Amino acid sequence: MSVAHIDELDRIEMADGFVWRPIRRHFDIRAFGVNAYSALEAGGQIVEEHTEGQLQHEEIYLVLRGRARFTVDGNEHELAAGQLVFVRDPELRRGAVALDADTVVLALGGKPGEPHRVSAWEAMFAAVPYSREENWAEAIRIHEEALVEQPDHPALLYNLACMEARGGRHLDALLHLRRAVELEPKWATYAGKDSDFATISGEPGFPAA
Amino acid sequence: MSTGVGSTEPATQGYEILSLDDLDRVPYRGSGEVLRPLRRRLGFRPFGVNVWSADAPGDKLIPPHEEDSGHEELYAVVRGTARFTVGDETFDAPAGTLIHVKSGTFRVATAAKPATIILVAGAKEGEAFVPGGWENIHVAFALLAAGDAAAGRAVLQKTAAPEAHLWGRHYNLACYDAMVGETDAALEELRIAVGLNRDEVMKWLPHDTDLDPLHDDPRFQELAE
Repeated sequence: MSVAHIDELDRIEMADGFVWRPIRRHFDIRAFGVNAYSALEAGGQIVEEHTEGQLQHEEIYLVLRGRARFTVDGNEHELAAGQLVFVRDPELRRGAVALDADTVVLALGGKPGEPHRVSAWEAMFAAVPYSREENWAEAIRIHEEALVEQPDHPALLYNLACMEARGGRHLDALLHLRRAVELEPKWATYAGKDSDFATISGEPGFPAA
Repeated sequence: MSTGVGSTEPATQGYEILSLDDLDRVPYRGSGEVLRPLRRRLGFRPFGVNVWSADAPGDKLIPPHEEDSGHEELYAVVRGTARFTVGDETFDAPAGTLIHVKSGTFRVATAAKPATIILVAGAKEGEAFVPGGWENIHVAFALLAAGDAAAGRAVLQKTAAPEAHLWGRHYNLACYDAMVGETDAALEELRIAVGLNRDEVMKWLPHDTDLDPLHDDPRFQELAE
């Protein structure tokens, strides 16, 4: 048994302005997806604008505390604590802003009919604070840990390559980037414009778009 | 219990908004907690998710159990304060508390403040979730108690179950049919349940008062041997 209050969870500020509060990762839950989100201030983003088209997740967003304005499929809905929005259709765009500074949204999701698989984005999110501090060793470790479970995840491989390039592990970066491009050629286009690869873009074998 | 128990069909549109307060209030058979069947209401399919509520301090909130299904569970206190006992530890959990409990660990909760609400998510690692299970049993018997026997039986009949738990579906139908006086149907369901998993059936059958109306029937006595 493990117990934590929502306010005791890590606060990982994301570039889009919302704050990820990792529940699944905190408890090492393996059977389903669950996380919480808060905002930096009233009016701030609390659930990022996104679809679940890639993961095909059904998602429930429950306002645990405060109020949030959700936009789902272009429609706005103001939700108070104890209200939820269930987005059955993974293709629908959804997002929310906090209307109170201390608003917390609980998000639960998974793909019907399949055993739960930990989403690769969790590792990418978890590595953000370490990347900010340029603690490349820890950022790389988090990605490598995620790759054990999903060794052929192109986005994870690409992100890992970014960290390795910034951390001075140039050969590893090149190998992981090449593998990402092999799995999904679009990453070559991104790599060509990505400043993370400035130190290796002139190397032989750097993938051309 | 609201008059709408079991009457709501899962959402089929792209998205839906609701308040936990609007969920049906379904008495949990046997111990009397109040189940608010969220997963069933939404038609949510990836894993189990439900809500429990209690009106007054001291009221039962989470039934005592060990979750021997293999599910790991996360309890999120949405409102109020719950008094949990997990294993041999008892503690108060105010709103915002998250409690993660592995399968096989005893847990139970009562309300420590008025209007306490808990959301619970659960599933088994490495297995696809099969929706439509245990909560339907409680919805069905709530409908029966409310006088709508046909609707309750329809809920039970539509209940899906993993192969390993199919015996339970038939066993519950046997109980239901016995309670409404459908003796032949009850015995047929019981016969199927016994055929699927006699050992499990025999853990329940000898002391299950739902089946009392069948006791004098020789067919029941034959199955119970």
